[in-house]
Amino acid sequence: MKKSGFWLIYLFLLAAQLLLSTYANFTPYVMVTLLPVMVLCIPIRVGTSLAMLVAFATGLSIDLLSEGLLGLNALALVPVAFARNSIIRLIFGRELFAREEDFSVHRCGFWKVFMAILLASALFLAVYVWADGAGTRPLLFNALRFAGSLAASTALSLLVIDLLAPDVRK
Amino acid sequence: MRSRKVIPRLISLAIFIILEIASLQMLSHNASLQRIWLARSVHGFMGTVWGSTQRVQNFFTLARTNKELAQENADLLKELSAAREALRQFHVDTLGSGIVREPGFVMIPAEVVKMSRNTQHNYLILNRGYEDGIQEKSGIVTRNGVVGMIDAVSAHHAYAFSFQNADISISARLGLEGGTGLLVWDGAGSRGAILKEIPLQFKYNPGDTVYTSGHSLLFPPDIPLGVAGSSKIVNGATNEIEVTLFQDFSAIRYVSVVHNTAFDEIEEFEP
Repeated sequence: MKKSGFWLIYLFLLAAQLLLSTYANFTPYVMVTLLPVMVLCIPIRVGTSLAMLVAFATGLSIDLLSEGLLGLNALALVPVAFARNSIIRLIFGRELFAREEDFSVHRCGFWKVFMAILLASALFLAVYVWADGAGTRPLLFNALRFAGSLAASTALSLLVIDLLAPDVRK
Repeated sequence: MRSRKVIPRLISLAIFIILEIASLQMLSHNASLQRIWLARSVHGFMGTVWGSTQRVQNFFTLARTNKELAQENADLLKELSAAREALRQFHVDTLGSGIVREPGFVMIPAEVVKMSRNTQHNYLILNRGYEDGIQEKSGIVTRNGVVGMIDAVSAHHAYAFSFQNADISISARLGLEGGTGLLVWDGAGSRGAILKEIPLQFKYNPGDTVYTSGHSLLFPPDIPLGVAGSSKIVNGATNEIEVTLFQDFSAIRYVSVVHNTAFDEIEEFEP
C-alpha cells in the first residue's frame, strides 16, 4: 500500500528541522532532531540504496542551510538509512516486507514503534555526538549529550509519527 | 538464488561506504578553500534569510538592549576620560625618550545576525562585510572579552568562528604579568573556559583576572577575559586552570571587529 503524500510531508518536516536546528539551541547537552524518524519512515518499497541517497541529501541540506558543519548530519544519517530495514525486521518482523506494507502505530502498536524510533535516533546520535566532539570532549559530556538529545528527539518524533506513518486503512 | 540477494546487499554496502567517506571528506576538509567558498555563498544566504527573522526577535528585546547600551556608553565615557588623562601623563613622562609606538588596531562595530551555541563548532554571522572594511584574519571582541575570529567575508556579511568552538584557542596571560597559556572553551557552559599550559613556577590565586597576552596578531593585549578558578596539574609539568569568562555567550548582540594594521607586515617574518 502506498502512503499518500509522504514526500510532501517529508519536505515539510525537513523545513521544520531547519527551524529546529536554527532556533532550538537551548543547551549544549540537548539537540533536537527529526531526521532519524523521517528516514525510518521512508516507504519499504524504496530500496536501501535509494534511501541512503535520500538520507545523504537530507543531511547535507541541513548541514548547508542551518548548522554549518558540512557533512556532519549526512555522516550520521546515512547509517540510519543503511540499518533501516534491519531495524524494521528486528522490531516488526518479516511480514511487513512480504506484504510490502509500511508500519504504523495503529497496525504495529505504540511500544514497537517507540522502540524502532529509539533505535534509529540512538544510532544517529551516537555518530553525531562522536563526530561533533571529534575526540575533544570528555566521555561524561558526550554521554549526557547523547542521553538528553535521545530523550528530546524520541519524544518529538513520537509527536510526528502519525504524519509520517499514518494508518492507511483509516 | 542466493547471489540475487547478495549482489544488492553488496551494492548497498558499497554505496554506504562511499557516502560515509564523502561525508568524512567534507568534514575533514572543512577548513579548505572550498569550504570558504561555500561559507561565503551559503552564509551570505543564511545571513539574509535568518537575519530578517532575527530582526523580529531583536525588536522584542529593544528596551533591555537600550539599557545595556546606555550603561556601556557611560562606562566608555569614563574609560575615555581616564585614557585621556593617562595619555596626557604619558606625553609628559616620555617626552624625547625615543619610544616607538606599537602598531595599532582598527575597530569596526558590528551586529551579530546569526549565532550558533548548541554544537561543538559554533559560529557567528555579522552584518558587516568587506564593503564595510572587515577583513579576514580579524578578531571579534566586546568590552567583556573575546568572542571569536573572522574566517570568511562577503560584501555585506562576515562569517566567524565563535570562541565556543573546539578548534579555537586564544593566547592568554594570567594576571598582567603572569604566565601565558592557551585559553579554550570548556565545551559545555556559556561562560566556562580552561587556561592550559601555564608553567608551574607561575603562582596565582583563584580570583585573578585572565587577559589576552598580545602574542596573537588577532587581539590587542590586556583585554580582560575572565576570572581564574580552581586548577589541576597536568603531567606534572603545567597547570590547567578553570576560567569563568566575563562574556556571557548567550547574550551577545553588538561586537567590535579588531584588525591588526601591521598583520601582513608581521606575518611576512613567519616561515
